[in-house]
Amino acid sequence: MDFRFSEAEERFKQDVANFFTEDKELVEAARKEWDSGEGYGPNCWEILKKIGAKGWLTPTWPKEYGGLGLSYMYRYIIQEQMHHFLNIYSTVGAGMAGPVILNQGSEEQKRFFLPKIAGGEIEFVLGYSEPEAGSDLASLTIEVKEEEDHFVINGQKMFNTRAHYAQYHWLGARTKETTPKYKGISLFIVDISTPGITLTPYYTVGGERTNGVFYDNVRVPREALVGEMNRGFYYIIEALAYERISTVAGLERDLQELLIWVRKTDRGKDPLVRQKIAESAIDIEAARLLALKVASMLDEGTIPSHEASMLKILVSEGEQKLLNTAMQVMGPYGQLQKGSKWVQMNGEIERGYRDSLQELIVRGTSEIMRNIIAERGLKLPRS
Amino acid sequence: MDFSLSKSQQMLKKSVTDFLKKECRELAREAEELSEGYSPQIWQKIADLGWLGIGIPEGYGGLGGDFFDHIIVLQEMGRSLFPGPFIPSAVCASRLLLEFGSESQKADLLPLMLDGKLIIIPALFQPDSFAGECHYENCQFSETGDGKYKISGNRLFVPYASTADYYLVSFDQVQNQSDGTGRQFLVDAKSPGVNRLTLQTIASDKQGEVIFDEVEISDEDVLVNHSNTETFFNRVRDIGSLAHSAYILGMLERVLEMTVEYAKNRVQFEKPIGQFQVIQHQCADMMIDLEQVRYLTYQAGWNISQGLPATKKISMAKARASDASRRVCLLGIKIQGGIGIIEEYDMQLYFRHAKAMELAFGDGDYHREIVAAELDMG
Repeated sequence: MDFRFSEAEERFKQDVANFFTEDKELVEAARKEWDSGEGYGPNCWEILKKIGAKGWLTPTWPKEYGGLGLSYMYRYIIQEQMHHFLNIYSTVGAGMAGPVILNQGSEEQKRFFLPKIAGGEIEFVLGYSEPEAGSDLASLTIEVKEEEDHFVINGQKMFNTRAHYAQYHWLGARTKETTPKYKGISLFIVDISTPGITLTPYYTVGGERTNGVFYDNVRVPREALVGEMNRGFYYIIEALAYERISTVAGLERDLQELLIWVRKTDRGKDPLVRQKIAESAIDIEAARLLALKVASMLDEGTIPSHEASMLKILVSEGEQKLLNTAMQVMGPYGQLQKGSKWVQMNGEIERGYRDSLQELIVRGTSEIMRNIIAERGLKLPRS
Repeated sequence: MDFSLSKSQQMLKKSVTDFLKKECRELAREAEELSEGYSPQIWQKIADLGWLGIGIPEGYGGLGGDFFDHIIVLQEMGRSLFPGPFIPSAVCASRLLLEFGSESQKADLLPLMLDGKLIIIPALFQPDSFAGECHYENCQFSETGDGKYKISGNRLFVPYASTADYYLVSFDQVQNQSDGTGRQFLVDAKSPGVNRLTLQTIASDKQGEVIFDEVEISDEDVLVNHSNTETFFNRVRDIGSLAHSAYILGMLERVLEMTVEYAKNRVQFEKPIGQFQVIQHQCADMMIDLEQVRYLTYQAGWNISQGLPATKKISMAKARASDASRRVCLLGIKIQGGIGIIEEYDMQLYFRHAKAMELAFGDGDYHREIVAAELDMG
């Protein structure tokens, strides 16, 4: 049992932190772009390329594909600093698509995509959800017809958040009508600029842009298929466990900012306020330890499925609870938005209160997470 | 970063688990009928196994282990609701003796404690502390000259008060006297002026009241590295709360285990009830609570083992453990339904003991206030 980083890890953590503090202007501009809810702007791309150039987007990958061959603990350290400074702790390419390409992709796919993902030059948008397929992902219906030397895809996706700035669509689509439904799904990498693909923007109550994506007789080369036909759902499930891993650096930063406000305003003397904020501090510390445990498991070669689900719950619900507490602690002032007279903490709490709602839903709802914990973690029979 | 137990820790865990499984199956239930509240025979057996000397250096006859070894043992004890003064005597009092006692006190008393022949219980709470605080203002000793002291006062919720050989108490200086610090005393339970009675509690765990009526104490029973009561109490509180967090962790592991087992086997509406989502989510919530208690407790225990500052992490662990013990046991009762509330089955035992553990050395609210203070909230 050891709850310390090694000396080498501590030094590395300092190096990563310095990287961000020394590029203050760009980092702040990138964070502002990201926090605006519009996705990667030019500053985000610039900082991601710089991070990628150091191999830090994909530190665990083999060097031949742009990685550094480092442990998941090193990846955790990098993600924690990215989260703290940028609010972006990974890209979809590095965190989700890349690992599947690495494990299941063809040599051509690996050579073409992996170095660009590692370098921060390209991004993927997840193409899973549809208007009629959310938590029940296996029921997706976007349809693939196999022609002689290509595929033709027709259908619709929803909540494909990064579609308006990612270059590639990581598409889960139906290649076979079969029972059970999940056995007829395949994974494709589709160039988003392919003719026939159109987007409709949607905005969440938190101010983040997401998209509906329409496929109208889209012609996709054979080489777009990832891995084996009709095995896509297995790859998706494996990738989802990785998607649910995060750090708590954002939560810790929010807590620190709340503490600063609370000290300034004397609200910290109220025992009820002390109780609620202390409870959030405990939530965050527990989540942090679980995040480290998950990184540790990955380094041991174990896939953290129910642990990742637990972590996702702790981080997303912990954030909701913290923001709810902050709202309560501020009383009526909590409802004021950025830019308003009398606003507190630059309106961050008000925005966060709205924006944190999506975390309870995306990447797997809290309810699905609890199903996974029950079924995989406790071996209860499938409901 | 390493979340695994070392080989020797694994061996310790296995030996404790094996012993408890073999010797203590129904002990928690039986102990409720014993006047001591635990089995002196089993106490002697664990003494012979060396458990009472885990945290004691080899020089005094102990095993020279660290606090994390205590956590391993306590977790398994919690799992089987092992009764007895292990936490107050073998964990708290022996560590306090090591820290505050003189060489001769350590040399005299520790071997006896190790051998199972001596039980020392800290007696700290006065009757007016509904919030679980230790009030220091009115507990003062007087000096009678010729190296003797006199103490008077009541102490409540003293674990296993009736079987203690010594009480470990703390009193502060009478006002106007110069020294500025308190004294910690070892009070022989047989001293004139000591009266004790057992309280009736939800866990039938033989907590007691001890009344000190002008009890005389000689210099040799004063702990040499004395401090004021507040400091001393905080030290005991840190050790005791974390020990209880570890015990709670084991308890909740067993509660979750028996609840899931029940949910898999109990068939209603033609399905095992564990197939219904409500039950699944309740069990998932139990696991989420439990895992948080686990890592918070392990981290705090590791901090103590390393001699690192631990108060905030200990209170984080105890706050979570206290509330989790209540939440998890309540869900255990609900999921097990009728079985959950019938005396004959184990769930209600855990429910009642959970309350005692939740309160020991401070509940969730009490420890959250400590965390708030550590966060410097103003």
